[in-house]
Order: sequence, then C-alpha cells, then structure tokens
Amino acid sequence: MELAKKWIKVTVNGEPRELLIKPNITLLDLLRDYLGLTGAKMACISNSCGACTVILDGMAVKSCSVLAMQAEGSEVLTVEGLAEGDKLHPLQQAFIDHAAFQCGFCTPGKLMSAKALLDENPQPTEEELRRDMEGNLCRCTGYKKYIEAIMDVAQHPVKYSAKEG
Amino acid sequence: MREFEYLRMNTLQEACSLLSEYKEEAKVLAGGQSLLTLLKLNMISPSYLIDIKFIPELNYMDFDEKEGLKMGALTTHRTVEKSPLLKEKFPVLPETELVVASVQTRNWGTIGGTLVHADPIGDIAPPLIVLDSRAKLISADGERTVPLAEFFVDFFMTVVEENELLCEIQIPALPAHTGVDYQKFSTIEAGIKIAGAAVMVSLDDGLCKDAKIALSAVAPVPMRALEAEEILKGKPLDDKLIEQAAQAAAAEADPVTDMHATDEYRRELVKVLVKRAAKMALERAKAA
Amino acid sequence: MAEYRVVGKGIPRKDGIEKVTGEAKYTFDVTLPGMLYAKILRSVQAHARILNIDTSEAEKLPGVRAVITGKDTQGMRFGFVDTPRYPAEQPLIAEEKVRFIGESVAAVAAVDEDTANKALDLIEVEYEPIPATFDPEEAMKEGAPQIHGEQVPAPGRKCAWQDWGVARAARSYNPVNNIGAAVNISYGDSEKGFSEADYIRDDTWVIPRTNHACMEPHGAVASYHPLTGHLDLWLSHMGYELKRYWISKTLGIPISKLRVHKTFIGGAFGGKAQVFDHEIIAAFLSRKLGKPVKLILPRDEVFTSTNNSIALKVNVRKGVKKDGTIVAQHVKLISDMGAYRGSVPVCLFLCHSMRDSIYNIPNLTHEGVGAYTNKSTTMAKRGHGSQQMTTAIESQMDWIAEDLGLDPVEFRLKNLRKKGDVLANRDTLNSYGLPDCVKKAVEASNWKEKRGKPDPGHGIGLAVSSMFNGSGYWPFTAGSIVRMNHDGTVTLYMGQAEFGQGPTTTTCQLVAEELGLEVEDVNLIDGDSELCQFDYNNFLSGGMFVSCKACLVAAQDLRQQVLKVAAEMLEEDAEDLDMLERRVYIKEDPEEGVAFDEILRYSIQKHGGDPLIGKGFCKPVPEIEFYPSLSKGSGRWTDAYSFTAAVAEVSVDAETGRTKVEHIWVGDDCGREINSLICEGQLQSQAVMGMGDALFEDVMFSEGRTINANFVDYEIPRAFDIPEITIIDASDPDPNGPFGAKEIGECARAAVIGSIVNAVYDATKVKVDSLPLHPEKIFRGLQEKAKA
Repeated sequence: MELAKKWIKVTVNGEPRELLIKPNITLLDLLRDYLGLTGAKMACISNSCGACTVILDGMAVKSCSVLAMQAEGSEVLTVEGLAEGDKLHPLQQAFIDHAAFQCGFCTPGKLMSAKALLDENPQPTEEELRRDMEGNLCRCTGYKKYIEAIMDVAQHPVKYSAKEG
Repeated sequence: MREFEYLRMNTLQEACSLLSEYKEEAKVLAGGQSLLTLLKLNMISPSYLIDIKFIPELNYMDFDEKEGLKMGALTTHRTVEKSPLLKEKFPVLPETELVVASVQTRNWGTIGGTLVHADPIGDIAPPLIVLDSRAKLISADGERTVPLAEFFVDFFMTVVEENELLCEIQIPALPAHTGVDYQKFSTIEAGIKIAGAAVMVSLDDGLCKDAKIALSAVAPVPMRALEAEEILKGKPLDDKLIEQAAQAAAAEADPVTDMHATDEYRRELVKVLVKRAAKMALERAKAA
Repeated sequence: MAEYRVVGKGIPRKDGIEKVTGEAKYTFDVTLPGMLYAKILRSVQAHARILNIDTSEAEKLPGVRAVITGKDTQGMRFGFVDTPRYPAEQPLIAEEKVRFIGESVAAVAAVDEDTANKALDLIEVEYEPIPATFDPEEAMKEGAPQIHGEQVPAPGRKCAWQDWGVARAARSYNPVNNIGAAVNISYGDSEKGFSEADYIRDDTWVIPRTNHACMEPHGAVASYHPLTGHLDLWLSHMGYELKRYWISKTLGIPISKLRVHKTFIGGAFGGKAQVFDHEIIAAFLSRKLGKPVKLILPRDEVFTSTNNSIALKVNVRKGVKKDGTIVAQHVKLISDMGAYRGSVPVCLFLCHSMRDSIYNIPNLTHEGVGAYTNKSTTMAKRGHGSQQMTTAIESQMDWIAEDLGLDPVEFRLKNLRKKGDVLANRDTLNSYGLPDCVKKAVEASNWKEKRGKPDPGHGIGLAVSSMFNGSGYWPFTAGSIVRMNHDGTVTLYMGQAEFGQGPTTTTCQLVAEELGLEVEDVNLIDGDSELCQFDYNNFLSGGMFVSCKACLVAAQDLRQQVLKVAAEMLEEDAEDLDMLERRVYIKEDPEEGVAFDEILRYSIQKHGGDPLIGKGFCKPVPEIEFYPSLSKGSGRWTDAYSFTAAVAEVSVDAETGRTKVEHIWVGDDCGREINSLICEGQLQSQAVMGMGDALFEDVMFSEGRTINANFVDYEIPRAFDIPEITIIDASDPDPNGPFGAKEIGECARAAVIGSIVNAVYDATKVKVDSLPLHPEKIFRGLQEKAKA
C-alpha cells in the first residue's frame, strides 16, 4: 500500500526544520537522506554498534532504532552541530590531540555519546566512562585513546574551553 | 521497513480504543529498541503502528511505604538506572540496569517495552520477579493485574492480549532484612548473556523467612526455581545450604544448547550464579 | 637512535578535522544525482544446481530498472589468485550451480533500497540441492562431493600473471579430491634433523574463521558515462590498483578510463583487498543503465559474502636437543578454504615466511593443502597466517620448555636468529629487533616475579611474531610526486588508501622532514587513481616500506632539484646548503639564503620554465622480477621483517572458565616510529583485536550457513573489556626503510594471541587445541583435570 507522507517539525543542530517524510523511516534515514547529514553512520543492522548515535532532547540515542516520527517536536544534535564556527568542541579537539580515532567511521557516534555523558556527569571515573561507552563499537583503535581523550576533557575543562579551533 | 500507518497517541484511552479496533493488525511502539530491528528486517509488518511513547499518564514513579512502588510502563531503563528512589528502595534494579544493553538503548527503551518483548535472555525480568512484582494490564474492556512470575508464557510471548497494554509495574515494599542480587554471565562484559540468576532472601530471627530465585537465559521464559527456593526457606542460610539450592536450581533449569553454550554448561553456570547471588543477597539482608 | 624534527613525533593527524566534524566522506556516504540502488540476491543453498531463475515479477515492480543473473555475466570470473597454476574460478554471479550460502545469484538495480529489497523477494530461484561437504578433511576423502570440476580458462582469457607480464600461459586446473591449493617448502634435511633430536613433540591446533568486522560495511558506487566510456568508482578498499585491474579485465573497460575516487575507508584489516562481486556488479549495472549505481552490503552479507580470515588446522612437529636447541620442524597445514580459493594459496606460503625470520631452524619442512568446502571464502586478516602459526608454534614452545624444564624466555632467546642472517630464500635480516622486543617486554611485565609462581587462576604468557614488508605484486611499484607551490609550500600526490592506518599524515611527515618543512606546509592529494600515481597497496604490509617510501623518494628528488637551483642562486656548492622553514640557507652562514618561492621563480625564469616537480617511486624487492615461487618457497620474498614480542597477564575464573586479560605488554620492532601516536594506536589496536581472536571471536556455521552474521552473536571487544596495555618501542631501524621505518600494522596481533594462549595455559594447565578459548572449553578442561 502506498501510504501518505507525514509532516514532521524537528530542530536539528539548532535549526528548526519542517519535512515531509515517509513514516516508515528511522531518525538516521531522516538525518542522512533528507538532510544530507552523513556524519551519523550505520555499521550494523542489529541495533548493536552505536555508529548512528545522535543526541535527542539531551539523550544519546541510536538513531537507527528511533522511528523518525518520534522526533516530532524534539531537538536533535548531530556531530555536524558540535563545532561553532571555527571553534571545535572540546571533545573534538581532544580526539585530535590524542589521535583517538583511526578510520573515523565510529567517531561521530563516539563524540555524541561522550558529549551526552559529560553533559550529564562531568566528572566520570574511568570505569564509569568505559562502561557508558559500551554502546559504541570500534574495531580500529582498541578504545584506549578514545577513553583517554574523553577523560582529559572531563579532568581539564579549562584547558579545552580555552582552545581556539 | 514495509509501509504502515503511524498513529501517535496522547492518552491511554485513545491507545486502548485503537488497539481494540485494530487488534493483530497493529503493533504498539514504545521505545522501539527491539521493535525497530524487527520492522527493519521485515520480520513483522503491521498495518498500524500505535506510538504510546509520549502518553504522559504512563510515565511516573511513585513510592509509598504501604503500597510499595508503582512505575509507569514507559519508565525508561535509564530512569531506573539513575533513580535515587530506586537506589534506596530497590538497589538491585539500578545495578542490573548497568548491564542492560547500552546507554543509548536505555535512554529510549522502556521497562514496559522490554517486558512485553519477553526476550528470555533479558536482564531486568529476573530481579523484578524475585521482588514479587506485578504487571498491570489495561484495555478498553477493563484492567487486570498479573504477577510477573506468571507474565511470561514462552519466548517472546506474554499473557498480554491483542487489545491490552501493559501500563504499570508494581513492586511491594521490601520487608526488613531483605537482600536481593542479580548475577549474569557472558563471555565478554557487555556480551550476549548466557545465563543469569536473581536471588532474594528475607531473614527473620536468623532464619530465611522467604527466598525467591529467578533464572534467565536457561528456559524459554525467565523462570522461578521453586524447588531451590524451598530448600532455603525456613532454615539458617549457610554455604552448604546455598550450594544445595544452587544445585537444585540447575536441575530445574531447562536450558538449550545453542551457538553460545551447551545446555550442560548453562546448568553449571546456574549453580555458580545462584550461589554467588544468594551469598550476596544474604550479606545484604544481614546489613539491611 | 637519531632524533628527527618531525619524524618520530606525535603530529596531529591531518585527517582529524574531517573525521571529528563528520565531513569525512566514505563510500557509504556517496550520493550522486540520478543514483540507483542495487542489492544482491544470495544463495540459500550450500551446494545446488540452479535449474531456473524467474525474474519476471521482480522486473515488473515499479521502480526496478534492471535485474541480472549469471546469464548476463556468463563466463566472467574473478578471484584474488589468478595464476597459471590457480586460475580465477569464482563466477561473478553463479551460473550453473551455487557453491556456498551467500554466493551471488542475481542482482537488482532500483530507484531506492526498499524497492530493490522488495524486488529480491520477488525473484524465484529453483534449486536442486546436491550433497555438500563442510569439513576439509571430509572433502578430501574419496567419494566426497566434488565442488569444482576442471577449471578451464575461457578461450582467449589470459590469467593475471600473463597480463602482468609474467610470461606463462593460462592452463586448466583439476581440483582432485577438492584440493585447490598446495605448498611444499623444505630446506635442510628434516628426517636427519629429527633423528638427531633428543626430544620430539607433536601438537595440532584448529583455528577457525574470524571476521574483520570493519565498521564501514563493504560497498561500491559506480558511475559509467556512456558517451565517454569512463567509469568512476568509489570503493571501500585497501589499494585501488588491484580493483581497477580486475574491473577493467572482467568488464572489458580500458584501465585508463577507470577512475577510483578518494574516499576515506572505514577499516580494512585485509578484508577489503581483493575485488568483490558486489563491486564488479555495481559497475556492470551502471554501464548497463548509464546511471550511477550504489551497492552497499548489509552487515550480514559482510559476514557471509565478502570473506573471513583463513581457517587452518596446524600440525607442528618439533625436534629439539636437551639444551633447547631446535634441530627440526615439520608443519602440516590443512585449510578449510570455502567454496573458492580466496587467498589460501598465498597464505599457505606466508605461514612459513612469517615464521622463518624468527627462529633458526636448520631442518624444516612446511607442507600444506587447501581443500574446497561449501562455505564462505577466506582471505587475509591482519597477519594472514601469522596468528594461526604463532598460536600453534608459540604454545608448543612453552610445552616443550615445560617438558624439558627449560625457562621459556631463555628457550626462545637461544633459538632466535641474528641480525644479518640470510634465510633459505636469500632474504637478509638487515634489521632484527626481536631479542630486544623480548627482553623489554619480559622486563616491563615483571615476568620473572610472576611466571612459575603457583598462583591459581593467574597466569602470564609470552609469544613472538614477525611480519614481512611488501613483496612483488601488482602493480609492483608505488609512485609519488612532490611539487613546489608558488608560496613555498609543497603538494604531495600519493595514491595510498587511508583506512585508519594514517598515511595521510605519515607521508607528509616524511616529506616535511626531508624538505625542512612543517607538516602543515605539505598539502596532500591522495587516494585518487587519476590524480595520483601508481599506488602499491597495503595488503602485503608494504604501506610504509614501499608506498610511503615512494613519497620520501619524490621528496628527495625535489630536494636535489631545489638545492641545485639554490646553489646556482647563492653561488655555493649544493653540499654546503641545507633547508628549513621553506628556505635554503648556507650551513656556515644561516642568515644567507633564499626562500622556496624565490627559488621556484628563479627556476621558471632561468631554466626554461622548470616548475620543480619531484618524482619518486619504490619497488618492493627491487632485485627480483615479479615474484618468487610460493608453492616451493624459493626465491627472495621481502626486504625487511618487523617483529613483536607480547606478554599477557590473565586471570581465569575457575568456576566458569572465563578469562579476563589484565594486562598486555607489546614490545615492537617497527624500524622507526614515524608518528608516535599513530604507532601506539596501531599496537593498542592489535592488542585488543588479538584478545578478541584468542577469547571469543569465531564465525560459526551450521550446514554451511553462517549462524552468527551480526554483532550480537559475533562478539568483538567493547570499551569495558579492554585490559591495561603497555607499548614498548624496541625498534631496530632498517637500512632500506624510509628513515629506517618498517610496518607496524600487522605484526603484533599474532604475538598477542599467542601470549594470551600461553598465559591461559600458565593459569590453568589446561591444554586446549582450538581457538577461541571460550569459557566453556576452559571449564571442561578444568573439570577433567579435577577428575584426573
């Protein structure tokens, strides 16, 4: 059956958007296919990898497993919305300083998970952080440098807020 | 995903009425952390998707010393994980949530959704069962309450009828000197669960007044190990008795052999997990 | 070791901004106007004749633009190996029969993915199942179902070796008893060697397939332009030359009209080296329709239909003297190849080559066969045979040491080769940091304190591994250009694929070091087959030693040109000049000099327009033509070997058999670290990946069907599992490496796996003979020990 499209109002990276979408698409499809925001990726089909992580109303979610229609009236933050002008977000800067990423495919998801975590708990222990990053798979790095980079931002907020892009 | 008509609900009444109308043609969407995968793989193709995620009446958590805890089915796993109330009254629940899926899944996925999905390897059901939880179901025809121990029928099947919604989980207040623990086993820390055991012990005057043992991943449903419970009840708990109960629980379990483990190994794990959970529950009961 | 200005430092990665902002584009992200989406229908039968395929309903579905089957691609063959001995035998799309679950049976191009998927459901395939075989030893028995008939090249078809100029004619191959690959290497006299041994031990290991599990799924975007005959490609790959060669060959498109565009690649680990059916199919459909076609594999097809690591049964027989001197070794390999050869013929040889540089074994026999089975194919994974061999050999080393009362560290050190040794194939060990790797890893881990102490449930283990650095393979060269710019910066053209290993940064460091520049002054054009020169590839571990080196050679060429002009301008001899900060200066009088932009201007004006372009190239193993004989292992193979010694500390829960890796120490000889942060990352990566291989990674089958083709049931390490990891640089610079550098991406994984295997044995004394060390296996072993 050919079903009608539906309008959805959603704020993405601070910009209010109004889109006509098919109801049977995920938030990830909406971001990548309708808005061209290809930072969030898909590395699995079983809700396991976290490469699609974005922040929905302040919460890290796997956008491949959220129906797009459920984002109606919500605020979505993607990796493309992290930097401000020529200034990188502290986590982005820390990832570069620590060479935390390698192939980079999981990096946007990691950034969004880490941002949501630090926004909620600015001073995690390393154990808390490693457990909370469970939902973001990585094959290239072995995770160590990612964790060090995020802990660096958590432990030295002043150092990172002073950096220019 | 196949096409469906998407309907967002604002009230419980609306949802119940539509469920009565569409019945098996509809699927209920809460957090969708299990449902979306099934939809994307075309394992299910409902004509209607009834979205209850945003019904305010289903998202609450109240505690009363007499009535115990009542939480709406839309309470997210993350809310349970972080709740100061639960950390105080039922600490086993926030602890267990740390090993449920991932933060992202817990942020959007709901307790109600997980229970209705009825995955036999689910982590949150066994602790809820040993806490003597009840599930309140509602439909256009009325409401009923079912003990959670009787809620699960088979893998991925519950007592919830086509026109019913799980709306609330009720947990009675714990008596004094009660301790609960949940132990799970997976090859890697956040890996697929091979076996799990929750144990509740309640002490009175040095004796075990009440004991409940619930196992996951070793039967088509999260199951109570009733004979093992009987071994513990009414007696002073020591290592030897706990071992005995653990052996009995292993014998009661009904595990399968699959790609992750043999049934024999799962039984061995039940022995270990029940023992460890019982010892921890006992320690907590003494401290409480 | 010499200190350099830029080389050796932890320079921030040049691809950093793109990757942290989401700007980085992968094939997964490519979208073109008018693009169609393709999907492949996969076989659900392990071994069956195809009686009929009815595509009529699929073709009628609105939005479907094309449906193709083996009838449309009849005769097209591809493979990783295509030699006179082993012709490429995999049909692009199955023709008269299917040989594994996951093989291509048909393909669809449609206006969107949903329509393409719906169309797949409408294709009706009539199969006639025939007996299948899933075990290599069963497959080799008389009477087993024969998976291949005689492999006869199509009339007029040349094999790759012929195309590449190795003048040998294509011929047919008849896989008797399903044997599709064989190797037999020996030197010395094994029989004599064993007769002189005081002690002989014989052990066998079975190593299963594991998956690369790259985060970016395999895929391709192909865009054919009917009016010009050009084909534009975006691929998830490890080196575009092999892809271009195969796509050009199978589709008959001139190679010069085939452009692979730069994309970032989301991980590779050897699993993206060969050309894939989905890549050629995307190009075929694009040409057929004159429209761009995107074909990205869903994760389950990455497991079933690309490739997994080589599955091997490894039998090692070793003869030693009482004092621990190794006198003989005989290795027998049986590879469970899957339905097509994959890279097994190469791997059977590499298993020998990657161990031969480690221990001095005077009498050695290495034989192996690959047997076809009705399962998915296998290919290189980060070490390509090294981890299978290292597990078997290094565990046996510990058992021999235990049997003879020898210290496992001394036993190894005693038998290590020496720097300058010439191997039986005449490779010379011009650099050999292995003894240092061992000593440093042993010291850092406090081995002496911990090993041999009765500490139930705790163990510590050691293992060593080696990796070669590039060998003769298409295109047999890497080329590079470094061009002077108007503003005194330079632009470097390098074709190497960036899949995380960092050449987009390290090559710029090499060039910057050579030309006295900062890394920011080196602009990079990379990964594009039309803009860049020949790219060597990364899947023979020649990324640094060959590919990156070409960039250094180009920079050296430019340096000479610049100095020559500057010498003329300054009226000095070139050897009295040096360069720094975009300027050439007189060594004795640094204030005197000329800026790069002035030199460029001068050169253009006074030398007939010469714009100062440096050219460089590098050939792996320059002294040989093409390649040696892999089946006999004779002939020079590589110019350098890297080495690793790993130590792992584990605790094992006796009640469940579960192993927790507490700490891994990696002592690595990579010649010289070009970028300290990137090098650390490579070794940490291999430590964690190796832990996965040792403890739980396993591609599982049931009657030929992959049953864990997803990230729920195929578990890979997550953030909470990682142990403490200590990286120790024990590098020995190689005279032929760029600033002495050798590879660092592949060697360590095998040593880590071996060290964990040995640590678990140390903790439990349970002898296991297969990977992974699943808790249940250890638990059973402990139970049996308790009974005994």
